[in-house]
Amino acid sequence: MAKIQKSKIFEVYEAEEEKRKLLYTINLTPEVKVYDEILTKQDNIEYRRWDPYSSKLAALILKGCPNIGFRKNDIVLYLGSASGTTVSHVSDIVGKEGFVFAVDIAPRVMRDLVFVCEERKNIAPILADANRPESFADRACEVDIIYQDIAQKNQVEIFLKNIKLFLKNNGYALLAVKARSIDVTKNPKDIFKEVKKVLEKSLTIIDFRPLEPFQKDHCMFVCKK
Amino acid sequence: MEKTRGREHFESLYKKNLELTKKQVKESVNEDSFIAHAIGNVGELDKAINLLSKRLREWYALYNPEMERETGEHEKLVQAVLENKGKREKNSMGAEISSGDLSQIMLLAGQIKELYDLRKKHESYLEEIMKKHCPNMLEVAGVLISAKLLEHAGSLRRLMMMPASTIQILGAEKALFRHLKTGKKAKPPKYGILSQHPLIGKVKKEEYGKVARTLADKISIAVKVDYFKGKFIGDKLKEELEKKFQ
Ligand SMILES: C[S@@+](CC[C@H](N)C(=O)[O-])C[C@H]1O[C@@H](n2cnc3c(N)ncnc32)[C@H](O)[C@@H]1O
Repeated sequence: MAKIQKSKIFEVYEAEEEKRKLLYTINLTPEVKVYDEILTKQDNIEYRRWDPYSSKLAALILKGCPNIGFRKNDIVLYLGSASGTTVSHVSDIVGKEGFVFAVDIAPRVMRDLVFVCEERKNIAPILADANRPESFADRACEVDIIYQDIAQKNQVEIFLKNIKLFLKNNGYALLAVKARSIDVTKNPKDIFKEVKKVLEKSLTIIDFRPLEPFQKDHCMFVCKK
Repeated sequence: MEKTRGREHFESLYKKNLELTKKQVKESVNEDSFIAHAIGNVGELDKAINLLSKRLREWYALYNPEMERETGEHEKLVQAVLENKGKREKNSMGAEISSGDLSQIMLLAGQIKELYDLRKKHESYLEEIMKKHCPNMLEVAGVLISAKLLEHAGSLRRLMMMPASTIQILGAEKALFRHLKTGKKAKPPKYGILSQHPLIGKVKKEEYGKVARTLADKISIAVKVDYFKGKFIGDKLKEELEKKFQ
């Protein structure tokens, strides 16, 4: 078993295995799994394996992004949490002193997320439409960083609205874009270019990466307000 | 936006959101959820029945191939096996088997019958809820199609917001996607779920598209009336539809 050590990303760990790089976060709730991730103990610390095929944020790291913006103690707004796969690793990263507001519109996935939140007291579940940030404004507060992963045609507009309402100045904002949900007929590259243009108007883009081969036709923008 | 850094405030936000979300999840369950599961299970039952019936055929044909061959529909075969209780033609080609061997076949037939019964109960249950939930669509499209449309759309509200052209091809997303991707090389689908409507079976092939379009129009109207709890016009819609394609 290869040794797990600190990576270049804050609170994210890595190990080399057969020329593959594996990512880990430290389990905030030892012995409790969130999905079917692998738990590994080393020097009395329990790590949770972070799979780039089921998490776009892990894919972003493996694609070489030098700074994903998340840090210990951060307050996070996470839009499109689903049942909490990625959210749980973000919860590991920000730790007990950090906090995550996890928003999703679908009751079915929220049901699963509620169980995750009962274990992890640094995640608050919010069943709401990210398209209407004012509808859940009284359930959250100003945040250090926003992460959005929702497959909606107007995902860029939703992203900007939430940044305006919730993100502190100089805060980070990450946007996962699924080309197909914006337009199935267009070349993903062209869609990513168009999104870039819109984002540049009000934000500074500090990193952009396609997430191939982990996520087909997806990319991630890392921005600063 | 409110700045919050105190730990206590986060604890109270945690509690408040957890409570509220649990309540929202509880209240999100409604007719649409039950309809989706009931019709979904009708689909599972069809698959299971088909699979088990094929097995029953092969198994029973060892003993009574003549009857197996004679009886086309699965449901009829199940019934025949159960009623026949091991009788067969005198010079049957089937093997001599022990009553222990036959008993397993009979047990299987009994279980398949149970599955058919369950399917029928689901259907009348669906009809019962939809009489209140969406009586107009029920009248125009029938139980199974109405339920499948609802299942696909996710809710009566979402179905109500769809244009008729979307309803027309609901359930044919793959074909639509192929059409959009290949830039017209693949033809657009004429219909999806609506292909199962009895009216489609009654007209010539050239008219399929036209029937599907008209049907989708009527369903679209019916769903709107249902959503806003308007008065019953399903019979009128159905009559118009039938007149147009006699
Ligand atoms: C691709 S999944 C997110 C996966 C998740 N980020 C992860 O990595 O574990 C997209 C989610 O966005 C949610 N969603 C779609 N539209 C939304 C909206 N308007 N507001 C909030 N959530 C939405 C969907 O319900 C779905 O759970």
